[in-house]
Amino acid sequence: MSNDKDMKTLFRTYRTPIIVIAVLLMLALFSESHLIRLIIPYAIAYTIPLLVTALGGLYSERSGVTNLGLEGLMLVGYFASAITIKFTEQISYSLAIPLGLFIAVIAGALFSMLHAFASINLKADQIISGTAINMLASALTVYLARTVAGSGNVRIMLGIVRQDIPVLSKIPGLGTLFFTQSYWSTWVALAIWGLSWFLLYKTSFGLRLRACGEHPSAVESAGVNVHKMRYFGVGMSGALAGLGGAIILVTYSGEFNGTVAGLGFLSIAALIFGQWKPLGILGATFFFGTATTIANVSQVIPEFGVIPPVIFKVFPYVVTLLALVVFSKRSAAPKAVGEPY
Amino acid sequence: MKKIVVVLCVLLVLTTSLFAQGDMESGEQLLKVGMVTDAGTIDDKSFNQGTWEGILKAEEEGLVEAKYLKPSGTTEADYLKEIGNLYDAGYHFIVTPGFKFETAIFEAQDKWPDAKFVILDGEPHSADYSEFRIEDNVVGVYWAEQESGFLAGIAAALQVEEGEFGFIGGMEIPAVQKFNWGFQQGIMYANENLGTDIMLKAENVIYQGSFDNVAAGQQIAASMFDKGVDVIFAAAGGVGVGAINEAKARAKAGQDVWIIGVDVDQYPEGLYTDGKSIILTSAMKYLDRASYDMIKHELAGTFPGGTTLRLNATNDGIGIPVENPNLDADVEAKVAEMYQMLKDGSITVADTQISGLYR
Repeated sequence: MSNDKDMKTLFRTYRTPIIVIAVLLMLALFSESHLIRLIIPYAIAYTIPLLVTALGGLYSERSGVTNLGLEGLMLVGYFASAITIKFTEQISYSLAIPLGLFIAVIAGALFSMLHAFASINLKADQIISGTAINMLASALTVYLARTVAGSGNVRIMLGIVRQDIPVLSKIPGLGTLFFTQSYWSTWVALAIWGLSWFLLYKTSFGLRLRACGEHPSAVESAGVNVHKMRYFGVGMSGALAGLGGAIILVTYSGEFNGTVAGLGFLSIAALIFGQWKPLGILGATFFFGTATTIANVSQVIPEFGVIPPVIFKVFPYVVTLLALVVFSKRSAAPKAVGEPY
Repeated sequence: MKKIVVVLCVLLVLTTSLFAQGDMESGEQLLKVGMVTDAGTIDDKSFNQGTWEGILKAEEEGLVEAKYLKPSGTTEADYLKEIGNLYDAGYHFIVTPGFKFETAIFEAQDKWPDAKFVILDGEPHSADYSEFRIEDNVVGVYWAEQESGFLAGIAAALQVEEGEFGFIGGMEIPAVQKFNWGFQQGIMYANENLGTDIMLKAENVIYQGSFDNVAAGQQIAASMFDKGVDVIFAAAGGVGVGAINEAKARAKAGQDVWIIGVDVDQYPEGLYTDGKSIILTSAMKYLDRASYDMIKHELAGTFPGGTTLRLNATNDGIGIPVENPNLDADVEAKVAEMYQMLKDGSITVADTQISGLYR
């Protein structure tokens, strides 16, 4: 009897990793299908910037600050990494990309301080402040690109080259799907996801951060500095959104062109769809990534030819709308999100 | 409230008349050439930039004074607003790149009869296509994209000799379709007459549907390469940027894949490590020459108003780049020979979807 209870608690504690492993095994079963092979690796590549940015949004919103500026913060990271890599790749190609990602993280975090200052110290409307971040970023990055690089489009010579992971790629099923032809940035992003889950749910620091988004005055009375916690949350959102933007550059785009094409907003949608939980976000972003990838490549794959591509293209958005309708009754949004403290 | 409106109106009238005054004082020596950009930025390394470079060349030679405006959207109203702004600022020679300007120029030619307009890749018509009319103050310029695509197809086929090709287009519009049809005819010609063995499957001839979806370009190119395609002709603006990026990553990993560029010589865009480029060759149309030539004509008083120009091999309006480091010398020689045959008319390339062509 007590053993059974132990199992239940064990499952509850480690629900997230258990579900992740179950889904991976499911996919592995189908890994021999060539359709899955044509789609999943590229869907993962498309998912990663979304995942990292949505995780950033998670930190910010869990600490109680709405961040609509993710799109702009991604753009800042996108730009910062492009400029850094462009000017260092001649010296050392292998160092330029990690350096570019690092600078993007710093730039995103610094830029997000504007949002933090406005919404935490000045107690400004966070929606307006986030929107201002977006407008400022899109104008500033293109202006700086023209001044520094001489063109609004900044191209890097080479992004990350995909590689097979030694040993792991030999695993039947899973290996071919996840460990062949992968970008190393993908593994960095997944590590960040794992660490974030641990930090937010398994440490007292994470508990305090989440409490700031639910009931800040209670946290303050327990002797925690809510302002500092919220600064951390917003700073993390800037850093991770910046990283997300940089990953776009070094994986599939290869060129800064002044827009991240709405991925920042899609990340916010994924955050809501994922009900402000790490596993939910992973699922939601992977779902969006797969749907968009299917929409993009459906024209090249004859099996999808019978379905008009427009159906695939609207699919992620329609599903998000439906999900919002369904979940609106029992939304898990942090209670104090959006309220100045 | 009313008072404020009145005061504002008076101020507006005053300032506009002041600025108009300023314009008159600045002298009339130089022709003022304006350009309204299409979707995308002035430095898009493609359509806008090519057109603008021709105008800049004229400005650097001290022939004209140039200015461009970027509309806030891509509707007829947005375009007309910026054309009007240029006109009001004294720019009475206006170049507009892209078929999207067709309806705007149709309106503009009557609205500003003393201004001159050059529209690239199009000719003025009414919004419902019921009326095509080109006034004496307008020149429409078309390119024979099919000839350019034909030459690029032959060049690539000769260089690769045996393999599988693919085509990624942007929007399904005439300029892109003609590139595609010419490209396919080039491959067919090379297979039949020049001893190459190039395969092109219907499923690998696609139009992505936009000119800016970089992610889709990368994913489509990746799928094609996964299925065994060796060379992709990307006539797709930003979508092509994604395709180029994917090809770079694969070439770096040791795969033998290539991209054929479009509109301008994209060789520099395809550079990756060790000074190698992923661009096999480019199917070019000389945008800068068109805008520059029209300015020269205007200055010489020979502006061919009311006509539609067709730039092709006979007047050196299209072609592949002069230098193609990725092509062998004998391939380049053969392509030059084909170019001469296009010039003297001994071979022709259809600009429609003749039987045997995909999409």
